[in-house]
Amino acid sequence: MNGAQWLDAFAAELGRRGVDPETARHVVAEAATHLRESGEHPTQVFGNPSGYASAVADSLGPPPPPPPGPARRPGPVRLHATGISKRYGRRTVLHSADLTVRAGQIAAIVGANGCGKSTFLRICAGLITPDSGQVQVVGSLGYCPQQGGTADFLLADEHFTLFGAGQGISRRQALTDGRSAVRVLGWDAPSDTLARHLSGGTRQKLNLALTTMTQPDVLLLDEPYQGFDRGTYINFWDQLWQLRDAGRAVVVVTHLLTQLDRVDVVLDLTPAATTRGGR
Amino acid sequence: METDRRSQWLRGVLDLCVLALLDEQESYGYQLAQALDMAGIGPIQGGTLYPVLLRLQRTGLIVADWRAGDAGPARKYYRLTETGRQALRHGGHDWQTFSTRVTTLIGKGDDR
Repeated sequence: MNGAQWLDAFAAELGRRGVDPETARHVVAEAATHLRESGEHPTQVFGNPSGYASAVADSLGPPPPPPPGPARRPGPVRLHATGISKRYGRRTVLHSADLTVRAGQIAAIVGANGCGKSTFLRICAGLITPDSGQVQVVGSLGYCPQQGGTADFLLADEHFTLFGAGQGISRRQALTDGRSAVRVLGWDAPSDTLARHLSGGTRQKLNLALTTMTQPDVLLLDEPYQGFDRGTYINFWDQLWQLRDAGRAVVVVTHLLTQLDRVDVVLDLTPAATTRGGR
Repeated sequence: METDRRSQWLRGVLDLCVLALLDEQESYGYQLAQALDMAGIGPIQGGTLYPVLLRLQRTGLIVADWRAGDAGPARKYYRLTETGRQALRHGGHDWQTFSTRVTTLIGKGDDR
């Protein structure tokens, strides 16, 4: 394990222990500085990533939340989609797909390009009507599209107040919620930049924050991490686990399978062998 | 056994040593580690030192801010707060009382 890998692993371990991302970023940066100055190997200075992460989490105070995993008891059903089918012309995009997600669960929707992942999510969001099947949602719903969730000629703060207003949230509260939602992703939204002047990755942070800022009961996220650098991507998943532990139901479309061992439900929409499974 | 005992002693006073160093001047992790080493107390690995710094920060005895170095990388500098200074005075006094008694007690053995 080289220095960069050790730091990545350490960052992930801090997230797993519920260390808030802002604090974790400082601790990781400080460790990186120390390593650069001392020229020593991380294992020699700090031990293994998980042990050091535990020591840090202990020092930071409140006992860490119980580790994620099958030991946690999921809550009531938040999203229940059954027999969802959709055709575009002669092409069947979805054939009787089912998905049930409970409070405190993350579901991953996977499958090859064009297999209907986004369509399924849009049906769950109520944006498209399925040819057959039913979707039931219990609680409030947030949907984050793959792209185009932001308005070119608005500032970040204006996005927050606009989306907040849609949920009946006061301007002041919306600004607080929105800014803290992007800060989790490592971005301090500046007050003077129009969305169209933001980089692709930063615009995605704004896009995602508009969904997470109101803390809906059900979050539908359509690959919202495109353009994220590695650190932000880790922060993104850390945030998903925090939302899950806070009792939200999260559905995330992904083609990256590396995270699948840490989600609760997987819906594979690949046509040849449509498999489903809970974990 | 010897290193075991040393690390047990350290566990009780490392926070005071860090406070004392920061009372002289503000400093950052790597420099503190070197200073502890030079003072003959170290070597203290980062895995031991930074958790102590985090605890001292949490309890308000020290504060930190990131600052870019003149040439080197940005560093997190720590400095003592007024509460920290008081904690150092009280803790230092307690330690001196305690260590003097221990020294006296052990010294009696030499006289016999």
